[in-house]
Amino acid sequence: MSIFRIALNNLMRRKIKMLFLMLGLIVGVATVISFVNILKAMESELGDKIDEFGPNSIILPRSEGMDINNNNTMNTDITFDIQKLTMEDIPKISASSVSQYINIISPKLVGAVETEQRKTIIVGIDTKKEFTQKPWLTLKQQDTTKEIQELSFLDLPNKSVILGSSAAKALNVKVGELILLDEKEFKVFGILNEVGSEDDGLIYGNLNEVQTLLNKPNELSMIEVSAYCNNCPIEEIVVGLEESLPNSSVTALKEAALFREETIGQFSKFGFALSAMVLLIAAMVVLKTMLSSISERTREIGIFRAIGFRRAHIMKIIFIEVGLIGIISGILGFLIGSLAATYGGPYLAQIQNDIPIDIQLLLPAVLLSVGLAIIVSAYPAIKAAQLDPAEALRYV
Amino acid sequence: MSEILISIKDIKKTYKSMGEEVDALKNITLDIMKGESVSVMGHSGSGKSTLLSIMGALNPPTSGVIEIDGIDIYKLSQEMRADFRREYLGFVFQQFQLIPYLTAHENVMLPLTTTKRTNKEKRDMAEEVLIRVGLKDKMNRLPNQLSGGEQERVAIARAIVNSPPLILADEPTGSLDTKTGDEIMELFQELNQEGLTVLMVTHNPDNTKYLGRTIMMKDGRLSDYQEELIRKSININ
Ligand SMILES: Nc1ncnc2c1ncn2[C@@H]1O[C@H](COP(=O)(O)OP(=O)(O)O)[C@@H](O)[C@H]1O
Ligand SMILES: [Mg+2]
Repeated sequence: MSIFRIALNNLMRRKIKMLFLMLGLIVGVATVISFVNILKAMESELGDKIDEFGPNSIILPRSEGMDINNNNTMNTDITFDIQKLTMEDIPKISASSVSQYINIISPKLVGAVETEQRKTIIVGIDTKKEFTQKPWLTLKQQDTTKEIQELSFLDLPNKSVILGSSAAKALNVKVGELILLDEKEFKVFGILNEVGSEDDGLIYGNLNEVQTLLNKPNELSMIEVSAYCNNCPIEEIVVGLEESLPNSSVTALKEAALFREETIGQFSKFGFALSAMVLLIAAMVVLKTMLSSISERTREIGIFRAIGFRRAHIMKIIFIEVGLIGIISGILGFLIGSLAATYGGPYLAQIQNDIPIDIQLLLPAVLLSVGLAIIVSAYPAIKAAQLDPAEALRYV
Repeated sequence: MSEILISIKDIKKTYKSMGEEVDALKNITLDIMKGESVSVMGHSGSGKSTLLSIMGALNPPTSGVIEIDGIDIYKLSQEMRADFRREYLGFVFQQFQLIPYLTAHENVMLPLTTTKRTNKEKRDMAEEVLIRVGLKDKMNRLPNQLSGGEQERVAIARAIVNSPPLILADEPTGSLDTKTGDEIMELFQELNQEGLTVLMVTHNPDNTKYLGRTIMMKDGRLSDYQEELIRKSININ
């Protein structure tokens, strides 16, 4: 016979009441756990998406003297001094010290061509790489009768170009028609959907053809690089790339990362507020149940005190009870929360990835549940311990 | 019968409830010897339970001193007083006051729960007293599976399991039929003969024959039992 046994027996006796108490804690813990799981899945999925969200860094040719002669009159000299970026630089990226982070390397040449008496910008690209890196660019119309292709799998046929929406409008051409670029014929393979940026005004062609057209064989204007992972050390990548490409300057693009953090930040604020609310309700259920349980047990506590239980013993009984309830609720809350995230999360948060059950959250779940139960029960426990035993036994 | 176990000097108890003051005990002075058995009688509201709870270290008097075995019990801290109750006192309450979710055996073990004994020692001690009160074969039953008299025996076993020198009982036979009540009284008598000091509040004058001295209470004071009897007989006549 121990204090533990007394607590256990009492729990078994008041099953309904204790189930009610547990329910409050279970809902609280389950909410927190499912939210944490969904948040983690969102974070990793957003990370995956960011890999597709465009380049993390851009490699440009280094312009010598740019810092020294920073004024307009010297512009021609500076251009003259620019060191060229060439096709030979691409393998250097794969061989760099940060190659393990590199996912997509998209080289391109940008230049102006004349069509219908006006200058238009043409970009020579590796279509698969460029369109994988920029998934927001999608085809609106396509030359063939086949269904519209996924651009990231596209092999652009020779002597073909893809037009941005406003370029197509300005040139007044339709898919399948021919246009003249610097007096050479190209077929309009497709027209892109409008994205509302400068990209809309561009003409895209195969890199080697544009190099020939612009008479800059082997030359590149820039290389856009995207890193593999969402938490890659962008700064480190920049430094690594600059080391292996000494004739270029590397710029990190952080917008994507900032955007991701903002989205997740908003979701975690929402989740935090929701969890806090549910936990508050759980705390109130525990408080209310324990207080009514104490008043129901007034006489029983009086007996314990009369036969020599100290105040500390009474508190111990109550804390063992809520502690046990806390442990069971923590485990059940963890299970329910994990399952809710696994099966409900994908619909709730529109996540494609699986949300796995993370067993590492079990201990925090139990600690949260036990901690909450014990903190909230402190007041009822003290109240029980302070009960006047003579008074408690008076009304028999 | 020469050594004083309980010494009560000039005890007063005033309850304050809802702005009203009730003088439950007025200047009680009383000694109870080791090995005595005493019945406390009096009308309802005369202060019997209050006196018992003060002797039981449960209810501090408003003024006056009470010593048990030379210990000024209300000078002890709350927690020390709980220890004192455990070691010195066995309570038998009206309506038994067993814990409903514990078996007879477990109920009897309760006062041992907070002592430093092995589980086996506790079980054996409880079993021994249950044999003593004649309940060995029913010790694994819950209170609601026992008759009133059996529950009373469990309550007595619980009161004596820790071998306290003093038993305090408040109307222990109040809810029992006459035959069962008499059996319980015989048990108290035996325990007293074995050396326990017994103090019992009772309404039933028949019970006094199992006990030694009778104390009569009236309006918070002690009155002489013989005088009371004489007055009663005059009234009857
Ligand atoms: N806790 C209390 N608060 C207020 N009044 C009390 C309290 N306990 C007892 N009394 C009053 O004190 C008087 C004596 O009560 P009690 O000792 O229970 O008498 P008895 O046991 O002889 O019936 C009664 O008037 C009762 O109402
Ligand atoms: Mg009474």
